[in-house]
Amino acid sequence: METLVQSTLAAPEGDISFFSLFWQAHIVVKIVMIGLLGASVWCWAIIVDKFFLIGRTRRQMNRFETVFWSGQSLEELYGTLHNRVNHSMSALFVAAMREWKRSHEGSRPAIGSLQQRIDRVMDVTIQREAERLESRLLILATVGSSAPFIGLFGTVWGIMTAFQAIAASESTNLAVVAPGIAEALFATALGLLAAIPAVIAYNKFSSDVGKAVSRMEGFADEFSAILSRQIDERG
Amino acid sequence: MRAGLIASLIGHSTILVWGLIAFPDAESFSVPQVESLPVDLVPVEEFTQLRLGERTAEVREVAALQPAEVETEEPPQPADKPGESEVQQPSPPTPSPTTAPAPEPEVAAEPEPAPAPEPEPEPAPAAEPEPAPEPEPAPEPEPQQQAAPAPQPIVTSVAPRSKPTPPRRSAEAPRDDFSANQIAALLNKVEPAQQTGNASQQPASLGSRQGAQNIRMSQSELDALRGQVAQCWNPPVGAVGAEELKVRVRFNLSRSGEVSSSPEVLNSNGNPAFRAAASSAVRAIMRCQPYSLPIAKYEAWQEVIVNFDPREMLGG
Repeated sequence: METLVQSTLAAPEGDISFFSLFWQAHIVVKIVMIGLLGASVWCWAIIVDKFFLIGRTRRQMNRFETVFWSGQSLEELYGTLHNRVNHSMSALFVAAMREWKRSHEGSRPAIGSLQQRIDRVMDVTIQREAERLESRLLILATVGSSAPFIGLFGTVWGIMTAFQAIAASESTNLAVVAPGIAEALFATALGLLAAIPAVIAYNKFSSDVGKAVSRMEGFADEFSAILSRQIDERG
Repeated sequence: MRAGLIASLIGHSTILVWGLIAFPDAESFSVPQVESLPVDLVPVEEFTQLRLGERTAEVREVAALQPAEVETEEPPQPADKPGESEVQQPSPPTPSPTTAPAPEPEVAAEPEPAPAPEPEPEPAPAAEPEPAPEPEPAPEPEPQQQAAPAPQPIVTSVAPRSKPTPPRRSAEAPRDDFSANQIAALLNKVEPAQQTGNASQQPASLGSRQGAQNIRMSQSELDALRGQVAQCWNPPVGAVGAEELKVRVRFNLSRSGEVSSSPEVLNSNGNPAFRAAASSAVRAIMRCQPYSLPIAKYEAWQEVIVNFDPREMLGG
């Protein structure tokens, strides 16, 4: 009679910490993981940056509006502002006032189409400001939509190699299957980790930028009306 | 932007470090180790020889055999007690029905000799009804007053006595034959239930990883399982090198004797026909369920390993 061998489950060897999961992974999965980690770092850098930029812009606009509607003369305001680096509403004001000043300089003031020119200048300034606020938000959108797929790619690749290893070892023991699948799923976890904050931040910041831009447009219309009245009164 | 990047890097590295500290390792599941029951498929001659060897081996184990000896004393005792109670109870009715119920006392008297192992059963009942009236003439007047109703309760009282026929049979059997085989058969029936009780009460013995080790499958029970699987097995006869196609299969059984997990082939072989051999072994296991095994020893046959060896079956 054949000797009877007691079979024992091979104990899963090695630890299953984050670090070992990363080191045991296939090179492709490793690259995917590193890429996703980099994407996450970059996303959070953008998120921090935009958070402070939008907050600062909102405060600047509030401060400017209180100063502008305080009854101060526009000439004085322009005098204090035009030498500084201006953003958002004050940039709009300075651009419009500069066009106004230039048109009144010289021997023959060009007032005929001054209203159109001022509108044009303010439009351009609004676009520039909006671009400044929106810059890099597209990266958040891209990461938010593509990171899960990249993670999924890493997972599929990892599971593929795991199954190849299983086929090679000719054993269906769960201890053989489990580590490969665990490290493969780690890639999807990283993808989601990068994607979720990116999507949330993108939605929040794009709506914030939209609000700021519409507020600047409203100010531009109001200021344009004021200047147009001045032109007509003088003209 | 640089501030954001630095903040992001610091945040990620702190989260990574915290993750390494907080979740160092996944805790492994604690899997209770189940002992496997090995079963080999071998021709009959071989395990009959083995059985002799196994007998002598088991004698050494005090724990396995002692309960059996205790039982040899015990089963007769319960058989005695019903017999004795019947002896005392039927004796009062025997005097009251004087002539007509004469056959009845004979039926009631039959169990009487059972406890008293007298070689001649027939003379005994004949002798007993005669002495019975002598000690109990005094109670006679009372039953005579209730003479009419008395016979009816007798019938009812006899009926319940006829119900515990199983003890009667067991008592009659040794009386008629006195063959050692039948006593052995009787003991085997009682054995498993008693053994589990002993196994649970016993302290853990040396050298066993689990308490369940105390329960052993007897050789006959293993043979039964082996034979059942062998019946359903079509060995891979035509394959090249079929004699080398040993297949070792492990499977779990439920309490009802059905295969609860899909059988797992434990070994592998380069032979191209090995897959067919393995699937034939698995098919044999699946086709043979449910397996009739003593439920008291469920812990022992919860997990079974069967070695399918075509060399044995093909007679090579």
